[in-house]
Amino acid sequence: MTDERVIRIEPVTRLEGHGELTIELTKTGKVKDVKFHVSSTRFFEKFLENRFAEEAARIAPRICGICPEPHHLAAVKAVEAAWKVTPPPAATKLRRLLINAKQYSSHALHFFALAAPDFLVGPFAEPAARNVVNVIKSLPDVGKMALKVMEFGQDLAAAVGGKAIHPVTATPGGMLNPFSEEKRDEFLERIVETKERTLKTVDLAKKVVQDYWEPVTQLAVVDTYYLGLHDKGKLEIYDGNLRVMDPKGKIVEDFNPRDYKKYYGEYVPEHSYATHIYYKPVGYPKGIWRANSLARINVADKMATPIAQEALKEMRDALGRPIHATFAYHWARIIELVQAIEEMEDLLKDPDIVSTDVKLSDVEPRKGEGVGCVEAPRGTLIHNYWTDEKGMITKANLVVATNNNIAGIEKSLVEAAKQIFEKKAHEGMKLPDPMIK
Amino acid sequence: MAKRIALAQLSSCWGCDQALVDLHLKLLDVLPELDIVYWPAVVDFKMKDLEALPKGSIHIGMVEGSCRTNEDVHLLKVMREKSKILVAWGSCSAYGGVQGLGNQWSLKELLDRKFMEADTITDPRIPDKYLPGFTEVVQANPDIVPFEVALPGCPPTSDNTLEALSALISGSPYDLPDKTVCDQCPKVREDKHITEFHRTHEGKIDPEKCLLDQGYLCLGFATIGLCGAQCPTVNTPCKGCFGPPPSIKDHGAKIISALGAIADMDPEELKEAFPDPIGSFYFTDYGASYLSKIKEKQRRSGK
Repeated sequence: MTDERVIRIEPVTRLEGHGELTIELTKTGKVKDVKFHVSSTRFFEKFLENRFAEEAARIAPRICGICPEPHHLAAVKAVEAAWKVTPPPAATKLRRLLINAKQYSSHALHFFALAAPDFLVGPFAEPAARNVVNVIKSLPDVGKMALKVMEFGQDLAAAVGGKAIHPVTATPGGMLNPFSEEKRDEFLERIVETKERTLKTVDLAKKVVQDYWEPVTQLAVVDTYYLGLHDKGKLEIYDGNLRVMDPKGKIVEDFNPRDYKKYYGEYVPEHSYATHIYYKPVGYPKGIWRANSLARINVADKMATPIAQEALKEMRDALGRPIHATFAYHWARIIELVQAIEEMEDLLKDPDIVSTDVKLSDVEPRKGEGVGCVEAPRGTLIHNYWTDEKGMITKANLVVATNNNIAGIEKSLVEAAKQIFEKKAHEGMKLPDPMIK
Repeated sequence: MAKRIALAQLSSCWGCDQALVDLHLKLLDVLPELDIVYWPAVVDFKMKDLEALPKGSIHIGMVEGSCRTNEDVHLLKVMREKSKILVAWGSCSAYGGVQGLGNQWSLKELLDRKFMEADTITDPRIPDKYLPGFTEVVQANPDIVPFEVALPGCPPTSDNTLEALSALISGSPYDLPDKTVCDQCPKVREDKHITEFHRTHEGKIDPEKCLLDQGYLCLGFATIGLCGAQCPTVNTPCKGCFGPPPSIKDHGAKIISALGAIADMDPEELKEAFPDPIGSFYFTDYGASYLSKIKEKQRRSGK
């Protein structure tokens, strides 16, 4: 090689959002740098200003059509914190049902539509063949299962939230619509088969991990900090405290999300419209952390439900804690898929879920500041609003899930690029015969 | 023969794609009819593959999102050139979308807020390396290139998209209905005597009665009836995210004039009740409004 080379990937595909990649190689073929560009942003922080604060829960979901439920709920929680309002317990249970339904459908979508094609069709297949449409055509049983699993989560999200994409029912002080007994009965019936499909998905994921053991455990393994919600050590996605784990596996922080500004920094790279969120006390890039499924599983002592806990134990027996293998995100996601179905089942069986006492009627706006924090499928999500005495938003700070991962993604890409371009790691690795040829 | 389809995402939330995927098992009927030549959310074709296609070779071009970056404008123009039938898919594409609300400020103010002033930013700078740069304002895509079909919605429901696609696959026209959300709403309406407006956190909502009759600003009366009245059905006021019926040119202007007639309130009281008329009346279509265009003209001429 005589010249410096720049490889551009435009766009990065099977990604929700606008990403591009630049790999810079030196004359001798060494990896100089890998840059991950998020090439669009829409300025929600600014145009949320001067709106009715209760409308943030209608506007902010439009940040992400794949994960609008976490935005809907982080927004309403932030406004409730600013106005010092506590919704009725049954409303909180409905919100937990809503966020779990989304967690479930999003994890299924990610596994089947975004990730699985790489494993089922194989990393060296024609790009045109490596997609879920081909999976559906070539493995109709797997395809049908994938569609049914995703459908359950989206249908339940729509039943609670009014719409699955951009839900509408949460408002400061509760939920605008109770959950009917008919709907509850319908989903309790459907959940039986869905749970079976979930366990089959676990088996498929385990087979994939075993088949691809070498790349999973050796490619793009990077040490970072990890961030995630927990409730007394249990993995939690609606409400709790935030833990930060250092690369050695030590919990170095455990704080109420309302204090996030002390721990969160946002580094603005020259080459991306998405900021790199990091652990501020140790600086950037040392404090690069990751969020999302693997991070939540690293920071939690245990899962909140029994079958998911068994699955976690199996993963920890194989890979330890903390787990730095980027590909293990897929495995962690499946463990969370199990927790989501178990939590939905528990909530649907809870008599409170059909309570009609789901909305306060005496909520008063006030001047204040509030933080709302939930776990989106892609990681910890924070909405922070300031309101005036009429309850209009005067300022907004949104620290969104994916931005917790951008620096970590870049770090794993640098590692993977070095392994592939410099050491030709992919040539020596043991790979299975693809299931779809 | 399968129709060649491309699905392109400009700046957006990708909810229109999720709505398409949410057809779930019904996808099995549609997919064999389609030959996907570009859909980055799902299929690994790259920009250069799209650019290499002959002019007019795509039967159906679905454009989601609006032009917030210069790259979006490029992709939109490529889609126009390659597609026989170009569909403005979703309210971002048809009207600019919620990000059109950003047109209330200059681009510099938007950039400063996000990259220079946000509370958690530690290294303020405006990113500009290997990046496309932003458009000054968000417009409706049909104000930039001509379209054959519009399918608004935030997002259009899965069935809306299925209906439009099925029509286009079979070569039939797809026209929008001239009806409103109220035409699809199950709630009981009476004569309106609104003397006071309520916000959603206020009071108890009667699930049987029209929300507007109860004093909640439900925009169903001025919004196209495509969604099945999803929001009012669950006691949540319509925010107008599907835009107006085809016979109404400016959504917010229509709402404001109608409110004057519906409410027994004088203009001062209405002004007091709605301190944020742009957010309240132009949720996903401010970018397409006369008001936004006038503001932009004033900004450009330095007024």
